[in-house]
Amino acid sequence: MRELPSVDTALLSETLRRFLAEELRASGLAGYVVGLSGGVDSAVAAAVAAAAVGAENVLALALPGPTSSAESLRDARAVAAALGLKVEVVDLAGPAEALAGTLGARGDRVRFGNVMARLRMVALFDRARTVPALVLGTSNKSEILLGYSTLFGDAAASVQPLGDVWKTHVFALGRLLGVPEAVVGKPPTADLWPGQTDAGELGFDYPAVDPVLYWHHEGGLGREALLAAGFPQALVDAALAAYRRNRFKWRPTVVARVSASCINVDRILPRNPER
Amino acid sequence: MGTGAPQPGDLVVALAQIATCPGQLRHNLAKHLAAVEDARAAGAHLVVFPELSLSGYLLAHGVLEHAMRLDDPRLDPLLKVSRDVALLVGLPLREPHGGISNAAVLLEGGEVRGVHRKLYLPTYGMFDEGRYFVPGPRLAPIACALGRFGVLICEDAWHLSSAVILAHAGVDALLVVAGGPTELDGGGEPAGSRRWHWIMGATAVTTVSPVFFANRCGWEEGVLFGGRSWAVDGRGTSLAEPAPALDEALVVAPLSLAAAARTRTLIPIPIAERFDLWRAALGDPDA
Repeated sequence: MRELPSVDTALLSETLRRFLAEELRASGLAGYVVGLSGGVDSAVAAAVAAAAVGAENVLALALPGPTSSAESLRDARAVAAALGLKVEVVDLAGPAEALAGTLGARGDRVRFGNVMARLRMVALFDRARTVPALVLGTSNKSEILLGYSTLFGDAAASVQPLGDVWKTHVFALGRLLGVPEAVVGKPPTADLWPGQTDAGELGFDYPAVDPVLYWHHEGGLGREALLAAGFPQALVDAALAAYRRNRFKWRPTVVARVSASCINVDRILPRNPER
Repeated sequence: MGTGAPQPGDLVVALAQIATCPGQLRHNLAKHLAAVEDARAAGAHLVVFPELSLSGYLLAHGVLEHAMRLDDPRLDPLLKVSRDVALLVGLPLREPHGGISNAAVLLEGGEVRGVHRKLYLPTYGMFDEGRYFVPGPRLAPIACALGRFGVLICEDAWHLSSAVILAHAGVDALLVVAGGPTELDGGGEPAGSRRWHWIMGATAVTTVSPVFFANRCGWEEGVLFGGRSWAVDGRGTSLAEPAPALDEALVVAPLSLAAAARTRTLIPIPIAERFDLWRAALGDPDA
């Protein structure tokens, strides 16, 4: 069976550290704000940011909602303590209940989950403005390819250091960077309702799906070639379905071009002009 | 630093591996001037900067704003220091009759001595240079008081014929300037840096010419560049330890014009190039 190629974790970590240092320098802002969920993605992103710009320049927010597990908040605090980050707890339970009630979304756990994810985005960008800071993204390549995220929610960020890093390698980064084992080792979860796990929702776990995604997305193998390579049919079909179904999230919006100077089409410009 | 101390009569070439930012020209210029200062302290006669070193690489339509003519006042600080040490700098060059070239400009004695315009503009995969630049019309050595140099910009060097043509025309050394994006592939150094060293080594030994490779490092717009600037002589011997992949560095290497000429005379591979075979292949599709 074809495997996910290995990565030199130390080299990857070093390159990402420099990426975050340069993005902050080029932006002219003062630091990063990151939402710590208690999971491995945000822990790794925060660890790289702390190494890049100094722990004192990374503000961690824990953003619990009404259905968040106590374990998530505990793990978020443990990550912040391990990295030496200031952590502020912003309790979104009340605002989430109120907004979901106003929208009539309280009975639908997916709608409620999306409200929660987008409220976290609101909190992060609001706090970022006060620093002023960039919002540190925590999305990884596997979840982006599968579209396992909330558009303009957890997918919204100023920079995405892990956006081209397979989840399998995020675990490896976590171990290298000293993320607590309780965080690296626990089942990934968006924690949007009690008992939710990524694997439970997706139908597969990341070590299983990452090779399928790699050999399809980068290796160019279609469904039949993936099956011939020995990947289980259910896994291949579920992965490819998500890969196609959620592709609109890769480019969150599209502008109707009616001029010869359409932004990002006719005028692609660097993000950080000289000030 | 070089593996051996420079001998009297040798030149010292410094490769300024810097991390530039697209569109932040003052930031980039400051890096040039700092590198020149370090290179002068190291006794350099020539400082070679990476591709589009003044402007940054991923300017995209920003070239419209930042392209410059050779009399642009933004070049004045570099022309000034070129009175003491020659410089090869990269910039988007506004052409008199329209179009913008991806150019490497040799400054010496306070003047522009020569310009190489990139011949091959990669426009595939992550590259989009053909959208923003016009290709250079010709390939010829650039002569200055220090010697005769063949200049290649990044993709130019991936077409091995470029170095062959320059070596056949006669050069003291090849100066290869690059902004080489790279990915990580599991190796202990970026994949692009490894490929570059294969090409530079092969170019040096097959053209029997010293090769000075100045690559950039750092990040632009989420794209990683692989550094590992290096100098190697016409027999494949390192003239200096390669720079690291990720960090800015100054590689200082000796260039003995006499030794290079002697090697070329003893091993005249580029002079023997059978251009008649090229002509035949081009003239006869079945040749």
